[in-house]
Amino acid sequence: MTTDEATKSEGEVQAAALAERGEDITPSKDRGVLKIIKRPGNEDESPMIGDKVYVHYKGKLASGKKFDSSRHRNEPFIFSLGKGQVIKAWDIGVATMKKGEICYLLCKPEYAYGSAGSAPKIPSNATLFFEASNAGEPVELLDFKGEDLFEDGGIIRRIKRKGEGYSNPNEGATVEIHLEGFCGGRRFDCKDVKFVVGEGEDHDIPIGIDKALEKMQRGEHCILYLSPRYGFGEAGKPKYGIQGNAELVYEVTLKSFEKAKESWEMDTKEKLEQAAVVKEKGTMYFKEGKYLQAVIQYGKIVSWLEMEYGLSEKESKASDSFLLAAFLNLAMCYLKLREYAKAVECCDKALGLDQDNEKGLYRRGEARLLMNEFELAKCDFQKVLEVNPQNKAAKSQISVCQKKTKEHNERDRRIYANMFTKFAERDAKEAASKTGMEKTAEKAACGKGAETPGAE
Amino acid sequence: MAVDELQAIIQRCQILEEADFKGEDFNLFQVAGQKCLEDGYAAQLLEVIQNEKNKVIIKNMGWNLISPLVRCIFMYEQEDDKREHCLRILDQLAQLCNPKELFLGLLEQIEQTSGEQVCQTVMLLLQPLQTVLLKLQNKKAYSVGLSLAMIMNQLTPLPVPYTKQQIQEDKLGLCQCCNAVVDFAKPFVNEVVKNMEKSSEYNDMELKEELIKFCMKSLKYPLLTAQLEQLESIEEHPFRHFATEIIDILWNIRELIPLVFVPHKGRSPPWENQEFADIERKNSADSLACLSYLMFVQHFGVECFPMVFSPSYLLLCNMTHIEVLLKRTEESVLSKGLDLFESCLLRIEDNSLLHHYLEFRVFINVPQDLVKIMTLCPMEHMRKKSLNILQLFIDKFDTEGKYTLFRCLLKTSNHAGVEGYIIKNIKDQIHLALTKEYDNIWFTGHHLISLLDLVLSLPEGAETDLLQNSDRIMASLNLLRYLVIKDCESDNQTGVWTTLGKIKQNFLKPLRVGLNMSKAHYEAEIKNKKENRKEAHSSNPVCSVTVSGEKMPAMTTGMQLQVLHSALFTFDLIESVLARVEELIEGKTKAVMDENS
Repeated sequence: MTTDEATKSEGEVQAAALAERGEDITPSKDRGVLKIIKRPGNEDESPMIGDKVYVHYKGKLASGKKFDSSRHRNEPFIFSLGKGQVIKAWDIGVATMKKGEICYLLCKPEYAYGSAGSAPKIPSNATLFFEASNAGEPVELLDFKGEDLFEDGGIIRRIKRKGEGYSNPNEGATVEIHLEGFCGGRRFDCKDVKFVVGEGEDHDIPIGIDKALEKMQRGEHCILYLSPRYGFGEAGKPKYGIQGNAELVYEVTLKSFEKAKESWEMDTKEKLEQAAVVKEKGTMYFKEGKYLQAVIQYGKIVSWLEMEYGLSEKESKASDSFLLAAFLNLAMCYLKLREYAKAVECCDKALGLDQDNEKGLYRRGEARLLMNEFELAKCDFQKVLEVNPQNKAAKSQISVCQKKTKEHNERDRRIYANMFTKFAERDAKEAASKTGMEKTAEKAACGKGAETPGAE
Repeated sequence: MAVDELQAIIQRCQILEEADFKGEDFNLFQVAGQKCLEDGYAAQLLEVIQNEKNKVIIKNMGWNLISPLVRCIFMYEQEDDKREHCLRILDQLAQLCNPKELFLGLLEQIEQTSGEQVCQTVMLLLQPLQTVLLKLQNKKAYSVGLSLAMIMNQLTPLPVPYTKQQIQEDKLGLCQCCNAVVDFAKPFVNEVVKNMEKSSEYNDMELKEELIKFCMKSLKYPLLTAQLEQLESIEEHPFRHFATEIIDILWNIRELIPLVFVPHKGRSPPWENQEFADIERKNSADSLACLSYLMFVQHFGVECFPMVFSPSYLLLCNMTHIEVLLKRTEESVLSKGLDLFESCLLRIEDNSLLHHYLEFRVFINVPQDLVKIMTLCPMEHMRKKSLNILQLFIDKFDTEGKYTLFRCLLKTSNHAGVEGYIIKNIKDQIHLALTKEYDNIWFTGHHLISLLDLVLSLPEGAETDLLQNSDRIMASLNLLRYLVIKDCESDNQTGVWTTLGKIKQNFLKPLRVGLNMSKAHYEAEIKNKKENRKEAHSSNPVCSVTVSGEKMPAMTTGMQLQVLHSALFTFDLIESVLARVEELIEGKTKAVMDENS
């Protein structure tokens, strides 16, 4: 059976068989999705909600016309299960499959593209059939793995029980959770706790849990695998006997939450009152060296006030002073977190509010120096001196800039000496700049002691 | 004579070994060759070049002739024999010269051209450039990338033909040139494809990256600003053709789907510096938006597109692209954004978009952008279209989504017309809630009351500018009138009767006061004007108005009176509806009181 015709007739037979004998797998038992297993899976495990699943498939319309095939693309189709990324029939259907299973699915329009259809391939009110043609081209579940929440491998989630609806806590929401923390198989924490998302640290809860909560739904029960960066970091957590750079596993149930107001839901008065509160909170985190948490707090001020219009004179003054403090402190946090471009951006904004701000200029200088923009850094430090001639730290930074510029120029001269040799030296240059960057970073780390003005 | 000079230097060099050529020889050869060309001895020069004995000389020195050659080719008429000879020389040089030097020579020519000559020069040199690149042994990927980047950079300042006439005329040759550049790139695409077939772990990442860069650049220019709708009576629309080819390239090197669906991951070489990564992301935003437009609106490459995604997920993926496009002001880009938005919305069934999507910032931002277009865009058809799309967007949400969206738009639009429009929408939703059987908790009861607080109020109390806000006020009054007629006090499904005291206090009372003040003010003004008119005709305008640089003529007293009268008319209109509402409220409460007593 290799000719097209044979394939087609086989397809029709299958569709008819499905309609007749297929198992109704819809939760509401309305026969919207019917399934027949062609080959059972080789493992008993089914994918969990949110898992990244790898599927091969081929889809046909009732007319027998093929509308899609993953084989045509030469690679399996990948999606997150149960998240509404695919048509309903698939979220339901694939969830019932086991690894290695091959099956047929017949999907009513209500579980596919409905009356709207999907131009140009799927007409209105189309029943879709996912099927096998010759050998091994049906819906085949190849593989699945836990969901990588931030696409950086830092937090992997596997959902044990799906939550209700799709609403998530936002930053600043008050959540009630049950959590159990494990490290190397040892349970080190188990509690019911109520706290504000972004402030988990107050309850010895690592930042990764705060971040993951923003992607959870009410009632959800999941397992979270945290890398050290999202866990207790280099410092570890002596209170729980956890060493530096430890991988953590948490089981979390989100029992309930109340969302924080979105910016557009607050009026100016409320925003200003809250700004004072979060500023203090941010400064507290900053002093404890918890920069990620501090960034969250200061960031709130910016999101509330940066775009606020129609303020009275008094409000506008208060708002500007909050914003200035927030930008300056954010800049400081980003310097500490080694995110220099962001630090510069914050300084720019601070200087937009107060162009002679000493701290703003100094911090931008620092950030630029660390980004190897020596000339610009020098300008900033010089401006610091114009504002305050007594600033000794700025003076010493200027000489650092000059030294760096000189070193850099020499290297450039060597590299650009000859237009034609440029080709050959491209690789050399890459290597050179890499070691150069490491060096400056090293030096920057040494020369930092001079003056680091603290948070406002 | 020029030819003799050339012969002399040739003869001297024929006996030398390749390694013995001196700088002086290069100079003499170049000067003599150039002179031959300038004096019209192209045929003779061609002979010299074709002579087998001179092969080594041409291989080493020939590239020096590129610059004068290009100049000459542009000097001669299309049919001139001499031009034909020059073209053959160019062809010969491409075959014979050292690829490395010739490559730089050709690139230099492209770099130096500008203005109206850009396309001509590029099209002239593409063929030899391709020949040379195919011969290059080292740094091939880098050189291909450099060539494509240089060509695209030179084309970018040129205006993109937009109207049908401009496209047909193709004055600067841009349409033709773009398609020639794609042909130029094809052998390199094939090379990548072949290598990919050979092994799954191909080592040709470099060439592939260069081709991606070229495609991304092409999507941004010229495609983003080009007219891509099908045009009647143009069989082969040059930009549609170009777009198809670019999509084909991406598909063939298996980058199309990753670009459309996982755009932020592992694309470019990971920058050490965050700032570069940000710049890169900003740069690619336009290109990716254009790519989405091509796929979802123009259906280019749709045959490779997975047909199992849910429509709301597609909308979510496209929202950032839509936002990028709607932020722009050029008609060509803006209309792509609106089309993309519309096409995504049309795939979704009414009332099926979950309100949770509004938690994505972009779902709040984009309708606000639409409002900006609706109120500020100078092109009427764009304003109308964005209003239609806003309505479409509203229609797709579930009731809670609509509710949240209305709240947000009322708070952010700052435009009485838009607010009036939203209030009308609220009225429609309440009507549905009251007439349908199933419960709708968002447009009845306490949720509705909190929304009504926003609607039935005057932003600045009795001092509110009633004229400016008339659209909003009329819509609010109509809504209130609807509520008191439709919902009896005994049912009080909407809850309006519970909150009536507040409505009177915050809305009806100040409105009444405001109306009285405004009317008195305008009537006094009219009286004033009329008296002044009798006094003197030397009416010096108080201020002048300029509209887009042109000064508008000063208003005559007659016109001023007309404006004042029309304002009074508006107030009368508001007042009559207000009176009706007050009457209804009084009548109904009285009826209930009578019943109770």
